[in-house]
Amino acid sequence: MIYFYDGSREAFLTAFVLAFRDPGAVLTSGSAQLAVGQETCFVQTDANRAKKAEQRLISFDKNCMHDLNTILKSGDANRDMVAFNYLHLVAEKGMPVRSMLAEQAVIAADECMRRVKLEIHRMHGFVRFMESASGALYAPISPDNDIAEDLLPHFRARLKNFPFVIHDVGRGKAAVYDGEHTFTAPLKEAEVVLSADEGAWQSLWRKYYESVNIPSRERLRQMRAYMPVRYRKFMPEFN
Amino acid sequence: MISEEKLRILTESAKYDVSCSSSGSKRANEGGTGNGYAAGCCHSFTPDGRCISLLKILLSNDCIFSCKYCMSRADADVPRVTATPDEICELVMDFYKRNYIEGLFLSSAVVKSPDYAMEQLLCTVKKLRTEHGFFGYIHVKGIPHADEGLVRETALYADRMSFNIELPSEKSLKLLAPQKSKESLLVPMQKLQRDRTVFKEEKRKGHFLPAGQTTQMIVGASPEPDGLILRLTQSLYRKTGLKRVYYSSYVPLVHNSLLPDVPAGERREHRLYQADWLLRFYGFSAEEIVEDDGNLSLELDPKCNWALRNLQYFPVEVNRAPLEMLLRVPGIGARSAYKIAEARRYATLTFEDLKKMRVVLKRARHFITADGQFMGERRETAIRGLLAAGETAEEARQLSMFSDLETARSALTGEL
Repeated sequence: MIYFYDGSREAFLTAFVLAFRDPGAVLTSGSAQLAVGQETCFVQTDANRAKKAEQRLISFDKNCMHDLNTILKSGDANRDMVAFNYLHLVAEKGMPVRSMLAEQAVIAADECMRRVKLEIHRMHGFVRFMESASGALYAPISPDNDIAEDLLPHFRARLKNFPFVIHDVGRGKAAVYDGEHTFTAPLKEAEVVLSADEGAWQSLWRKYYESVNIPSRERLRQMRAYMPVRYRKFMPEFN
Repeated sequence: MISEEKLRILTESAKYDVSCSSSGSKRANEGGTGNGYAAGCCHSFTPDGRCISLLKILLSNDCIFSCKYCMSRADADVPRVTATPDEICELVMDFYKRNYIEGLFLSSAVVKSPDYAMEQLLCTVKKLRTEHGFFGYIHVKGIPHADEGLVRETALYADRMSFNIELPSEKSLKLLAPQKSKESLLVPMQKLQRDRTVFKEEKRKGHFLPAGQTTQMIVGASPEPDGLILRLTQSLYRKTGLKRVYYSSYVPLVHNSLLPDVPAGERREHRLYQADWLLRFYGFSAEEIVEDDGNLSLELDPKCNWALRNLQYFPVEVNRAPLEMLLRVPGIGARSAYKIAEARRYATLTFEDLKKMRVVLKRARHFITADGQFMGERRETAIRGLLAAGETAEEARQLSMFSDLETARSALTGEL
């Protein structure tokens, strides 16, 4: 049976309970190819069941909900099944499975989580803020995974005195620090009036970028491996 | 705001310094701007494949020294500029808040005198920390022959300092950098290391080089063999407690009869870094890797070479070999070794499992058994042939070392 759910953690856990004993279960929060005659189920979130499933899973592995959160942030189309198979194994074994690195379900979950974490780490470096006329900072991003919220603690710690907005343009949401609190909010489009000096600083940065390169040692493949082209969209040094 | 032309000149004179890392400091933001990021953070990458982490810049390129290999040497006909500490501070603060950089890597030519140059460096970092409330990463270059007190005071504000050894022997140093002496480089390093230890032991307030010291030497400008370079490196790690030694393969920017006209091979630099990793993370000693007066093989990586010379230890069984031995298997890096050590607690691993776990077997298969099974060659010459052929076929890949995600990541963690 195919189980459609809305992508939230609670709905996932409800679906997890419903699908647990179904050997042909397919969980998805996106679209799925339906074969002729395939049964479908649209999962209604059941807070009670979700809570129970969560408590049970935590009794086997107190950190597995953290893993689930990470996997559900992934932009991978397969994330729902990766999470399902991983937690299924936790329930089967009745203990943490993250070190069972020869198990297919663990390998897939590990890979999925590593990609999310790698992107968070990369974005710590690749986010580019622009200074607005009010002094607040604004950075558009379009990451593979849903990680805008995960960038907040890092930038809040270092930019205490600067309110900022990190705008996931693709998902239409913003991670905001207002100088005191952090929160996320839906944001379709943003209009930002830049400060008078912003253009000059960007231009100075481009000059630096150009000057620090050693042209006789061109290594474009290496550069691409470290910084895939899709991340360059909002960086002044490439625009 | 500093002018674009000044920025260009001061950057171009600083860019051949290879150190780029911003790791090792956990300095907290105490009410200002910035903090340390222990893992280090790359903010951009240039077409030469190098990362931009710190704003790497000279305070001045107006030098009274004449090191033969240097583009800023006193007798060179180049435009001379000097930035003010305030210009640098403003640049750092504005770049940092836009998240262009992780901090500052400040160096300087020996402008007027060693003491004056050091004083200017100190003045800049002190301003950044105290007037601008900057808590991000700062790496400051030490000026040889500068006053000890100035150097020590700088260490109170910097996360890392480095004196460049420049050349791997005293003889070459005399020949190519006549105003620098071995003592003017090694003694301040040793003093800083002593002060750092005392500072830590007495649990004093504040910071004293939380990210330690590094150094750099130019490879290929002088005739020293790799064996000597690695022995020197090893002693710097063991005796002077350095965090890292960087190698910079020589690029001829200057024509001088004392210097070669051809650049040192980048393959050689690559092999030295591989050997350096073996020293730091894989439990090898310099003596095991290469004889004193020998060079590293350009054909095969140093771990393969060691294993081929020591075939009596192989093959090892992945399900039983201790972690230290797994780390010595060619092709198995720190990450793979750790994965194997974890996974084998739950199941006996076969070659099939290793493949699933993405352990690269191209080299390793000649040196391991998995659940008793052996899939490689036993004869040294045969293995050597296979591995060397593999390397040539992958020439392009080897030279741009990190061409896919997996290897890029392993480069960050330093696996081999």
